[in-house]
Amino acid sequence: MRLIWAGLIWVIWAGAPRAHVAEQGFVLLLPTDVYIGAGVASVALTVILLIFLPKRWGRACFRPFTLVALPRPPVRHLTSLLSALGLVALVGAGLFGTRDPLANPLPLFVWVVWWMAAVSLQGLIWDHWRWTNPWTGPAALLTRVTGARAPLRYPSRLGVAPGLIGFMAFAGFLLADPAPADPGRLAVIVGAYWLANLGAVLLFGPRWLLRAEAISMLMRLYGRMAMIGRHRGRLALGLPGWQILVRRPLPSGLGLLALILLGSGSFDGLNDTFWWLTVIGINPLEFPGRSAVITQTLVGLLVSNAALLLVFCASIRLGLMLSGSGVALRDALRTFAPSILPIALGYHIAHFLTNFLVDGQFVIKAARAALGLEDIRVTAGFLSTPGTVKVIWLTQAGAVVTGHVIAILVAHALALRLFGGTRRAVLSQAPLAIFMIAYTFFGLWLLASPRGM
Amino acid sequence: MTHHTTRRGALGTLAAGAGAASLPLWARFAEAQTSEPIKIGFQQHRTGIGAAYGRWYGRTTEAAVKLINEDGGINGRMVEIVAEDDGTDPKRGAELIEKFATQLNTDVAFGTLFSHVVIGSAPRAGELKLPYFVVSEGHHVASGMLNRYTLQPGITDVKSQVQSMAPYVARKLGKKVTMIFPDFAFGHDHRDFFTAAIEAEGGEVLAQIAIPPAETSFTKYFPKIPRDTEVLYHVMVGPAVLTFVKELGEFFGPSRPEMFGFIDSLEAVSISSPGLEYLEGTYFWEGNPRHAHPEQTEYDKFFRAAVGVDDRGASISDPSDVSTYSHMFGCWETLYVIKAGMEAAGYRGPADRAALIEAVEAMTDMPASREHPQGAKLFNGKTHQVFGHQNITRVEDGTLNHVHTTSIEDTLYPDEADYTTQSF
Repeated sequence: MRLIWAGLIWVIWAGAPRAHVAEQGFVLLLPTDVYIGAGVASVALTVILLIFLPKRWGRACFRPFTLVALPRPPVRHLTSLLSALGLVALVGAGLFGTRDPLANPLPLFVWVVWWMAAVSLQGLIWDHWRWTNPWTGPAALLTRVTGARAPLRYPSRLGVAPGLIGFMAFAGFLLADPAPADPGRLAVIVGAYWLANLGAVLLFGPRWLLRAEAISMLMRLYGRMAMIGRHRGRLALGLPGWQILVRRPLPSGLGLLALILLGSGSFDGLNDTFWWLTVIGINPLEFPGRSAVITQTLVGLLVSNAALLLVFCASIRLGLMLSGSGVALRDALRTFAPSILPIALGYHIAHFLTNFLVDGQFVIKAARAALGLEDIRVTAGFLSTPGTVKVIWLTQAGAVVTGHVIAILVAHALALRLFGGTRRAVLSQAPLAIFMIAYTFFGLWLLASPRGM
Repeated sequence: MTHHTTRRGALGTLAAGAGAASLPLWARFAEAQTSEPIKIGFQQHRTGIGAAYGRWYGRTTEAAVKLINEDGGINGRMVEIVAEDDGTDPKRGAELIEKFATQLNTDVAFGTLFSHVVIGSAPRAGELKLPYFVVSEGHHVASGMLNRYTLQPGITDVKSQVQSMAPYVARKLGKKVTMIFPDFAFGHDHRDFFTAAIEAEGGEVLAQIAIPPAETSFTKYFPKIPRDTEVLYHVMVGPAVLTFVKELGEFFGPSRPEMFGFIDSLEAVSISSPGLEYLEGTYFWEGNPRHAHPEQTEYDKFFRAAVGVDDRGASISDPSDVSTYSHMFGCWETLYVIKAGMEAAGYRGPADRAALIEAVEAMTDMPASREHPQGAKLFNGKTHQVFGHQNITRVEDGTLNHVHTTSIEDTLYPDEADYTTQSF
């Protein structure tokens, strides 16, 4: 018995002091209070400016510069086919390659190249998913070979619900699964997901990808944020968000996905803070492993999304009351939900920047190994150096603040369009603007908070 | 159980193993090329909170295995590391042990650092009769809470580390000590053990200041430090460590008591980082001194070169990438113990696992050597725990200067378990 007690006393000995603390340690030494104040003030200032600026300015900043007339080469299905082949090869690597999640091409590709980089690229630069999605090409090919048309009609009463549920499942896997980077496990999930959706596209037609396949829906949404797009048949460049205003409105319900993107992204930032770990009764200095907090994480994810939806709806509702407009809540929600996208994108970039800088090196290392080039050493030294930690933190904060500023501008331009006059637009926007200012604070607080995972 | 092994049997095979090792080099290589490799399952903290440590444990392991293989492998067979990520998660750790034993058919499992993963995995290793060589410095092995299949022959345990610091602290720094520690099991262990050890040296602990784990500012706790404190013993951990040091500096200014801490919280952090200036002139426990010192052994020099670490314990390819130098030698030394154990036991395959354990249990003195670059060790076969010299360094001009090495005797304590009485 004495031995058991002696053992228990020493149970968690080495568990505490091991996490790579340097980066966060240096962040805690930064004057983040001042930075947070400045960030929140910039967003608040944007709101105030919009009250006084002439109506046309709000729209003018989103007018794209049209560049060259560029025909779209009809290779979309071909590139999609190549993308599908690549995916199959990656799944094969996941099943049969090295078990090391930081050397196997599948987890490196899915989480670093695709989720961290390609999604950011989609939202920031240009809609590459049109060429890189792995379903349209194979579906077109199969349709051509078999000559069969989709036998079923997508049940329109389902709306985008399957896609929203699909995204929640994706977020749940990313945040709560004990081993989302395990090559074998990921291969089964990615492979099954790709096959199931390919089958569904063949059954229901391409409409499936717009309504029920979460990844394509997410990429389509972020594609609206890209700076490069097409306008009147020409290549065009504009402020992020210009395509939200210029192009056809997105289907009703897809805006909801923008909110879920933000809600899930925010919780991803929240769930490893000391604050959250304390809330769920975990000592932040001895994190017991992901498998010990699966339920708490899933509940947190759902509650965060519900809370965000509630606050957003309340802000819009209050705005409609203040402006005395007769616009229906449903229409207003549909109009303004895409204005959340820049915030979600800013969060995405900020949240994954540090991981990308480390894990990106593992991608290069694996690629060099595959090409037979000389090995490189992955370094995290820049996370133990105050100068680079500061640069990284300010870049993250910049992404969050810029996301909010653009969101305010987009929301204002959308309001002008919906309500006509500046006064009404400003009144209708006041609660949403306050919400966005508060969310800027929240986002920067997240970046500055100590983390225990 | 078809293969019954006794201690005597293992010692008998020791001679046979030595015979195999003494084959001419060409013969060993010839055999190595034709035999199945020895598979060592590496339970690596590739992701999760242990990832920073996992990277360096991985590099050290790679370097040691490369050398072992260049030297002819083990019993003439090449060594293959089968690394799997445990996510620094005890549940996954236990699953991994099962995978090593039943799917990947590794000969042994090795390399676990975090105590909660060791404690979660060891019972499974015992059930599946898979020798499990941990590198966690936890006291759980020597305390008797684990089982005959779990051993810690490559790194000392924390009980011996803390205990062996007390004589130096009492004699050189002061007898009136105030302890500051995080208020949970980790800190409580330091509190209880160091308090007993310093009292045995004729010192006393004036105050024990427990800091809530989620605290990120410490100024309000410092007035609790008694004025006549001669030594401040600090074991703060987590991201707020740098803030702790900074605020301590603001509180005391130049007239501070002596300070003594454990390097754990500053592993992989450059000691010359801005913000750590206040640590100048303070003392640290180090398992293996990060900064090469004048009395550096040729073995330490060899170890650094093989792992790719410079004289300041940083990666030779990036001086800002500081290693976990105080702990990572444990992987290297453990692999050489596995090699020596397998050779002594004439290990041929999983049927000889019990013989391997007995061969390691029979070990005692491990002289300082390329195989044991941190220094000489003394293995206790009953408690499955190794004991060794500990080091104290003092920060001077941003360098951790070596000031003291304890004797191995300073680190010993009465046995709390005898695993050899457990059957296989």
